[in-house]
Parts: sequence; C-alpha cells; structure tokens
Amino acid sequence: MAKPVVKKEYTFLERIYLWEIVKGLKLTFKHFTFNFKESLKKGPHTVPTCWQYPEDRRPIAPVFRGAHMLCLDDEGRELCVGCGMCARACPAKCITVKRGKPAEGEEGKYAGKTMSAEFTIDMLRCIFCGFCEEACPKGAIQLGQEYELAEYTMDACIYDKERLLANFQKAKAEGKLKPPKKPVPVAGGDKKAGAKKVAKKPVATDGKKSKKAASKPQAEEKKASETKREET
Amino acid sequence: MDNWVIALIKVVFIWTWTLLIATLMTWVERRGSAMMQDRLGPNRAGPFGLFQPLADGIKLFTKEDIIPEKAHKILFSLGPILFALPAFSAYAVIPFGDKLIVNGKEIILQVADVNVGFLYVVALGAMAVYGIVLGGWGSNNKYSILGGLRSTAQLISYEVPFGLSLLAVVLVYGTFSLREISLVQQGTFLGFLPNWGIFKQPLGFILFIVTAYAEANRVPFDLPEAESEIVAGYHTEYGSMRLGLYLFGEYVNMYTLAALMVTLYFGAWHLPYIDMSKFLGPVSYGIASFLVFFLKTAFFLWLFVWVRWTVPRFRYDQVMGLGWKALIPLALVNLFITALCIQLTV
Ligand code: SF4
Ligand code: SF4
Repeated sequence: MAKPVVKKEYTFLERIYLWEIVKGLKLTFKHFTFNFKESLKKGPHTVPTCWQYPEDRRPIAPVFRGAHMLCLDDEGRELCVGCGMCARACPAKCITVKRGKPAEGEEGKYAGKTMSAEFTIDMLRCIFCGFCEEACPKGAIQLGQEYELAEYTMDACIYDKERLLANFQKAKAEGKLKPPKKPVPVAGGDKKAGAKKVAKKPVATDGKKSKKAASKPQAEEKKASETKREET
Repeated sequence: MDNWVIALIKVVFIWTWTLLIATLMTWVERRGSAMMQDRLGPNRAGPFGLFQPLADGIKLFTKEDIIPEKAHKILFSLGPILFALPAFSAYAVIPFGDKLIVNGKEIILQVADVNVGFLYVVALGAMAVYGIVLGGWGSNNKYSILGGLRSTAQLISYEVPFGLSLLAVVLVYGTFSLREISLVQQGTFLGFLPNWGIFKQPLGFILFIVTAYAEANRVPFDLPEAESEIVAGYHTEYGSMRLGLYLFGEYVNMYTLAALMVTLYFGAWHLPYIDMSKFLGPVSYGIASFLVFFLKTAFFLWLFVWVRWTVPRFRYDQVMGLGWKALIPLALVNLFITALCIQLTV
C-alpha cells in the first residue's frame, strides 16, 4: 500500500528561507573550519576523509593479491619445480612455464630435482585471482603486496623469471612476505580433530596460555570450530 | 594631460585588480567548496594549488575553438563578449577607496565619479543578460535555449525588486553618485550605530542581496546554467576561451556586486567609530581605505561562495513566485516606509 502523503505545514521561519539558510551556513562553516584546520597540519593524511594517494597510502591486508613473486626457501633455493600446475589453474591463461633440468653443478640453486627453465606471467591478462598460488604444490608462486603495476610499454608488463624473483627479494627486504598459510581444513570436516588440534597447540608451546586453555577448554573449542566453519 | 595619465593608471589598475580577484575567486570557490564537502580540492599546482587558475587559463586558451555547425555564427560569437563586456565595465563607477594625495594632487580612488553611477551599474547588469540569451539562442541547442529563456524569465522577476531596493537607497541618501553615498556613511547613526546603509535599510539590504544573487546567476538562482537539469544551460555548446569569458564574467560580476553591497550598505571604506583620515597620512590613508574596502568586499565574495555550497537551487516556478509574490511587494513596502520616514523627518 502506498504511503499517504503527509503535507508538512512549514512554519513562518521556514517559509521565509532566510533563517534556514543561516542554519545551513553554520553547518557548512563548521565543516569548512574543521577541514581547513586539519589541512594546515603537517604530515601525510591530514584531512580525515581524504587520502592523498601518492603521499598517503592505505595499509593493505597481508594477504593482498598484488604482483606475483617466485619464492625462494630459507637456503635461497628456488622452490619452483616447473610442474605447470599454476599455468593449468590460471583462468586467464597468462602463465607460461617450461620445465627444465638444472644445469650441471647448479643443482644447489634449486629445491627440487627439476626447475622452471622459463617462467613468464603476462600481467596484462592476469586478473589477480590467486588461483596460481593455491594450485602450486610447492608454495613457490605467491601474490605480493605491490599494486602499482603501470608500465610505459606492453612488453614491460610481461614479467619474466628474473623479475618475479626480484619481486621476492624486494618483498623480503621490505618485510612484506606473506604470513604462513593457515592449515587448510580437511575435506569432509572432521570437526573434533580440527578443534582438538587448535586447542592442543597452546598447551604444547606456551605454559601461560595452556592454563587459560585448561580453564576454558569448552569456550576455546567452540571458538576454534567457529573459525574453522568460517574458513570452509 | 596629467589627468589623462591618472585616469589611465586607474583604469589599468582596476582592470588588473578585478582580473586578479576573479582568477583568485575561482581558486577560492573550488578549494572552499571542497573544504565544505570534506574534500581537499585542487592542491597540486603551486603552493596550496594557487596556480590552478593559471593552469586552467592556459588550458582554455590552448583548446580548440569550436563553433557548432548549426549554430548562428554571429550570435554565437557575440554572446560571450556581450556577457563579459558589461561585467568588466560595470566596476568603473564603483569606488575602491577614498582618495590618495600625491604631490599635493588629490586622486579619487574611483575610475569615474559619474553622477548617475547608480543607473550605470543597473543598466550594465541588465545588459549582461543579453549575452546569456544570445549565447543560448545562437547555440541552436535545446538546453542552451532553455538556459537563455530561464535567464530572461528570471530577469523580469528579480530586476524589479533589485531596482526598487536600490531606489530606497537613493531616497535615503538623496544622490545617485556612489562616491557621495560612500562619503556620507561616515560617523554614527542614532548615536550608537555606525552610519551605514544597512542600519537605515535593513529590509532593503536583504532584498538587495537576494536579487544580487539572482543577478550574478549564483546558487540558489543559477537556473540559466543549472548543471543538474539542463547540462550547462546557455554555455553548453561553448568551449575554449569563449567559455572562459562566460565563467570569468560571472566572477567579475560577483566582484562588482559585492563592491556595490559594501558601497551602499556597509559604509564603503569607513571603519565603524574610527575616522582613519584623522591619524593617517595622506598616502597611507588612501591605501588603508582601499584595504578596508577590499576586505569588506572579500567577505561578500566569500559569502557568495559560502551560500553556493550550502543552498540547493530554487525551482523555476519558485523563483518566479519568490520574485513576484514576495520580493516585489516587500520592495514596494520598503520604498513606501522609507519615503514616509524621510517625509516625516525632513
Ligand atoms: S610455480 Fe608452483 S605450480 Fe607453477 S610451475 Fe612452479 S612449482 Fe609448479
Ligand atoms: S592470479 Fe589468477 S590470473 Fe593471475 S596468474 Fe595467477 S591464476 Fe592467473
């Protein structure tokens, strides 16, 4: 049913506009003085509603999906084995991998028995879905934090292996590596096992926490199962 | 000969000054509006974005000058000129300070002290509408014509109260000369108020400021160019420096009207209760009077901007209704009361 239209009777003050305009002026002036004062402050991000992009950058989530990088392990060996799983998973078909054998005497550079002889990602086609990262059995390919990917030529947007490795080095130097993945829950949802695992952990590692966990095991367990459900 | 040189200097000065203020106003408008809307506005070109108007000017100058194929060539090119010319010449009769005494020669800070200065301003203000109407008609575009028509309809509803409110001022001061009006606003009124027009004509001032906003095509009466309704109204088809003239003329108009408000209602260059000429030297007094006048004008310029970003636009019929049903009767009442008071006191 349609709402009946209630015609509002305006008071005299409202009908002569002027007083209402003065009220409006007061409001805009409040905003003006506030923003004016804020914008005179030194330092980035002064006006709370505005991010002055090149100077102010919003903090981005650690799991942000930006430019790719090919990871090395702790001993500085390339993780990628050139299996091509990422290329297969990629919905945009922008990864090209060629498997190769490490050259004589260079086996120490690679974590696996094989390596990728060629690895390019066409960033013009990539949709940053992150499927490649999920598909990789070795955790070799990861999407990093870098998001300013504009280039002057199209060729420069096709990242080769050197560039991908350099991305990793840069991220490592800046401490922007991804946090280790949370354990993926086993399909079929063995709830009890999962919950136990989480609940057990603090007992094994931290004495202080274990007391807490012992005192409130029920709550802890509940929480754990809840988080698990969210993940799935 | 000397007088000619002085007149020339005054003309050049006031031209550059108005141009400077108008340019600056575009910046104030953009940054001020931004601050009111919790944005920042153009702040990249130069310190605080102050060079933004310069960049805009260069852009407008270097853009291609397009005349639409179906437009009326002569009217189309005449429009912006007819709009900007009155805007630039209207300031001639409005003072911008008291006087400067250099080498024993008295220089009045006003380009021309015409004894019908008043009528000159009103006449030129009405002229500017031709620019809008011709531009709208010449563009041969629906929206432009609508803008032009709105402008005429608006003109007939605000020009009458505009004139009537000014007439009441003339009654009070008994002169058409803007300089004489400024001069008599010295001293106090009723013993405690500054002898300013606003205290003698409070209603007249409200009528004047409302109609002045309509005259300048500013929100809440910016119907001719209502962006949200008719694209850009009369200047929809314009580009490059022709558009620049329209936009610029608007700010120059604003400056003239703000100066007129100060001259008529806010004591021109007089400070309340203080007579600057008593304790300042001849040159410093001239400069001080100029500054005081400018600061007052600056406030009203700011008010133009401030109101623009506060108030929504009036509807077309509301403007007519306001003009004919509220402003004209009020202006007549104001005129009547003023005449009565003068009759009784003289
Ligand atoms: S990045 Fe991972 S999935 Fe892709 S080829 Fe290398 S090891 Fe295989
Ligand atoms: S993020 Fe998606 S589109 Fe981009 S390379 Fe990986 S799988 Fe392909």
